[in-house]
Amino acid sequence: MYNGLSLDQAPPISVVMRFFLTVPVFGILLCCVLLVDPYAVVTPAHPLSLTAIHLMFLGVITMAMIGALFQMQSVLGGRPIPSAAGNALLIHLFLTIGILSLAGAFAFNAAVLFIMASVFLGASILYSANLILPLLFGGVTHETLRGMRLALIALSFTAVLGVVMATSYANGVFSSMHEALRFSHYSLGLIGWIAALIIAVAFQVIEMFYVTPPYSIWCKRNVFRIIALSLVLKMIWLFSSLPFVWVFDLVMGALLLGFIVTTLKRLKIRKRRVSDVSIWFWIAGMVLLFVSINLYAAFIWNGAVELQRASLIAFALFSLSIILGMMGKIVPFLVWFHLNSAGYMDTPIMSNIIPSQRAKALFCLFVLTAIAALSGGFFPDLLILSALAGGAMFTLLLLSHVKALTLYRHTLRHGTRFEQV
Amino acid sequence: MILLDTREFDHPLPLEMAVEAFKKLSGDEVIHMIHRREPIPLFEIIAKNGGRYLSVMETEGLWHIYITRSRTVELRHPHV
Repeated sequence: MYNGLSLDQAPPISVVMRFFLTVPVFGILLCCVLLVDPYAVVTPAHPLSLTAIHLMFLGVITMAMIGALFQMQSVLGGRPIPSAAGNALLIHLFLTIGILSLAGAFAFNAAVLFIMASVFLGASILYSANLILPLLFGGVTHETLRGMRLALIALSFTAVLGVVMATSYANGVFSSMHEALRFSHYSLGLIGWIAALIIAVAFQVIEMFYVTPPYSIWCKRNVFRIIALSLVLKMIWLFSSLPFVWVFDLVMGALLLGFIVTTLKRLKIRKRRVSDVSIWFWIAGMVLLFVSINLYAAFIWNGAVELQRASLIAFALFSLSIILGMMGKIVPFLVWFHLNSAGYMDTPIMSNIIPSQRAKALFCLFVLTAIAALSGGFFPDLLILSALAGGAMFTLLLLSHVKALTLYRHTLRHGTRFEQV
Repeated sequence: MILLDTREFDHPLPLEMAVEAFKKLSGDEVIHMIHRREPIPLFEIIAKNGGRYLSVMETEGLWHIYITRSRTVELRHPHV
């Protein structure tokens, strides 16, 4: 029993929202790249393909996830990020400049932009890790925080390998280790950073938001250990040019399949059957992850590059699905929480901050984008349709964020506070 | 004592219900909220708006939260 939880931990609303507002902007930029030359985007190692990949995984996914980390660390960790507003401003600025530089570097093959991207992206990511990681060591017992710890370490190594590769691109000289670096870079980024963080978030929110039974203790305790060990061994195998590297992909694939099954099972047996668009996004995300794993397994089996491409697209869509679902929960919560903290009596309820019709429209656009993008992995012309649907989806997302912030500011100016009643 | 059992409600309803009840509190009234987890964000809202709270975990997945605006009422959980 206690009555002394440290308060005043939640960062200002601007901390998270600056990241979330930038996400749809990069999403729209990605759709423009798809529209310019869809065939180039699906050509492996083509500069526009690398531009599109980094706009998606850094501009959309990492931007959203670092923003969410600022909120999650404060609420779950109980140890707030120091000077959150100033640090978020700096990290967001460097991340944005870095992503734009990297996208431009690939698109225009500009050496100076590769150097800029290395400096700004390396600085923002390593600075974020250095800022948040110390808060996640010592006395951390929450599985979500353990997952965040692994995700941040993996992101840091992804960034370091990315800087090494950017140097190669800038100089036009590639070492004999380039392929090992590339495979390690995307394994760490996709599984160590993105999948681990989504699993960590799922451990927290599936049970909390949807009143489901908790994930098993074994699963919570061991999933991050298995991911970390598989990634480390895979990198050793890659850099030593040892055979059977696919065994580690198999282990991680099996683990992710287990995660899909247990998550869908929990959503199916949830106690309350309230319709919530965020659940649809979770289900869609799990389906897309399932598709991604199977396409990748098929690629390992027969080596068809279309399968690898479609697997990557499905993985990106899986991540985007979870991010859109979570943003639909986090943004209304932030507006509601900060207005109530400031004592506003007429704070709108969360379901009125992002109306359900708008959330459903976003989901429909996401489904259209996903179907077109996945098909575009095999028939590149369909990427034009996915770019149009995606553009509409990201525009709606931006509009939704802006409207939520407008409502927040309007209540701040015109609302009635407790002491005024 | 105003009883607020939110164990079966999806997020964010428990938080919204607790804050709405807190806004209507007067005098020495106390809300006894029963929830399946500790509603940490709620505490910041209460503390910043002149309230007090006591949070008690009875068992895993069963929390009792007592909330008041009164400066004098003693908050305590009888079962522990």
